[in-house]
Amino acid sequence: MKVSTIVVTIAVIFIALAATIYSLQNRAPNTHPIEFTAPFVFGRFNVPVDNPLTQESVLLGRRLFYDPILSSNNQVSCATCHKQALAFTDGLKTSIGVSGIPLKFNAMSLANLMWGPRHFFWDGRVSSLEAQAIEPIKHVNEMARDLEQLIIDLNNDELYKKLFKKAYGEISEKSIAKALANFQRTLISANSRYDQYLRGEISLSPLENQGRKLFMAHPDTKVVLRGGNCIDCHSQFLTSGFGSKFDGFSNNGLDNDQTLQEGLFILTQNEAHRGLFKAPTLRNIAVTAPYMHDGRFTTLEEVLAHYNGGIKRSKTLSPLIIEADNIAKTQLDHISLNLNDNEITAIIAFLHTLTDDEFLTNSAFSNPFMADTSDD
Amino acid sequence: MTKSSNNTANIMTVNKKTITFAFLALVTVLVVVVVLLRPAPQNITLRFHPFVGDNPFLLNTQSYQNPGGDGEFTVRDFQLFISNIVLSSPTNQINEQESYHLLRFDGNSAFDQIVIPQIKLRSHNQLSFGIGVDPKANGSLMFSGDLDPNSRMAWNWQVGYKFLLLEGTLTVNKQQLPLVYHIGFDESYTELNFDIANKIMPENGVINFKIDLQRLFQKDNSHDVIPTQPQLPQDIEYIDMYKMSHVKFSPEDVKSIANGFNHFITIM
Repeated sequence: MKVSTIVVTIAVIFIALAATIYSLQNRAPNTHPIEFTAPFVFGRFNVPVDNPLTQESVLLGRRLFYDPILSSNNQVSCATCHKQALAFTDGLKTSIGVSGIPLKFNAMSLANLMWGPRHFFWDGRVSSLEAQAIEPIKHVNEMARDLEQLIIDLNNDELYKKLFKKAYGEISEKSIAKALANFQRTLISANSRYDQYLRGEISLSPLENQGRKLFMAHPDTKVVLRGGNCIDCHSQFLTSGFGSKFDGFSNNGLDNDQTLQEGLFILTQNEAHRGLFKAPTLRNIAVTAPYMHDGRFTTLEEVLAHYNGGIKRSKTLSPLIIEADNIAKTQLDHISLNLNDNEITAIIAFLHTLTDDEFLTNSAFSNPFMADTSDD
Repeated sequence: MTKSSNNTANIMTVNKKTITFAFLALVTVLVVVVVLLRPAPQNITLRFHPFVGDNPFLLNTQSYQNPGGDGEFTVRDFQLFISNIVLSSPTNQINEQESYHLLRFDGNSAFDQIVIPQIKLRSHNQLSFGIGVDPKANGSLMFSGDLDPNSRMAWNWQVGYKFLLLEGTLTVNKQQLPLVYHIGFDESYTELNFDIANKIMPENGVINFKIDLQRLFQKDNSHDVIPTQPQLPQDIEYIDMYKMSHVKFSPEDVKSIANGFNHFITIM
């Protein structure tokens, strides 16, 4: 055999071997789409093309969500501030992370995140769940984790290596964010009494139904229509802020011009957006106290009292709030819905129909480490 | 057969062949011409430019004269539905599918637009669309086009959609009054027809429309004596925002504003 033939043969074998190894290393993981159901009235939803909702990614995301390995002191996990029994809030005025310094914001509930506003956090500063997921991990007061070190630590964990390989092929900042985002996407709350009522399975009590009607109405004294005005910021089925552009953000009169916070302005740098915050989902609102972006109200009664006379005027206050009144406007200085006590009780009764016990106890959303322990 | 009759037969055969060839050539030429003259698909863009009278419309930062009274107003939000777009010619009609478009003017652009892709334009000279949402869609929970029962434009499933949303502030003598115009109801759905012959810009398929918020507040004078001549701009009467600062569910008030749907969109 000629030398040249041998060289060519070896070269071909080498190239084939290299191609095979490259192909094996870069082969997309063999994943399986996750199945889920949601009411059609929730509407369209989007999952990023580069992060399909797979069983493998959700399994990994759930484990990461509950694992304090994501924090610098190995004591704080996402679930520290997002507890399932509290609809993934923490019951605190504002959350406390590794630094022990209270954060600026109240922990937001995590439910039905595939619908509603496409900007996340109270001030909407990020525009994807993936971007949202990574922020608290890096934040100095929340989890303060060095991501490079986190990736090293995850690579030293055989189970994580296996889970990442199955879900995304590699451990990286992107795949950590994607996994956490996908687990959060599966947190669907759709079996409250309100859902059952919408499906025609139950009737609401007269008080709850009165509250529902008030919730859904902007008051109009000209036609004797009484309303709680909730629908102007919280959509009828999702009960979240609206999904289009920044329609899901509002200044609901918490502060006057002197104390008005940045809110959405931090993202848009538009003065008209100063003091606008995200209208949160009201799903499970009865278990997510305290309320508002800074947790200033401890009860739903306090929230209703705010809309019924506690509104503070500022330059970006929603005209819908100024105008909404159940008695004909006699003077413009005092802003109030002027609901009576019975109507306030009715709205709160309706808000309680949004509690979804199945969501609060669903084992698919629970701490997998606890499940591991109980399995033992 | 004689020699002469043979010649005649040959001539006829040649003539037949020539005629057949000529006919085929003619058909081929006609097919080529028809194919060449067939209009290539083109995007049609309905571009809406908002104004208040002659002034370009700007959210939040610009104030405008109350059309029918004292004071000035600013707008923090303005959105409306355009539905059921139809392009037609004497022999042809194109109905856009899922034709529900929400126009809004809170972006960085001075206009909002609707693009209807790949229309084979021949001689479409009429365009029609509705302002609002037709009764069938308004009474349903369907997600079609920009219709979304969980959007800001949805009231609730018993009432349907706001066809037009205008919110802002009127300042009169340093007193600030909130402006809330949420105009809906099936009766308000208004179909507009436009003659678009020579109105489509040939280079980009754009038709430019003016949306004039001032004309939205034009008073309905249809109860008056039928005018013999078109109304002059200086003769148009407008609604005083101070007297009608919010319109939501009062049928009479809704009708007053929805009357403006007939006037406030024109081809530029």
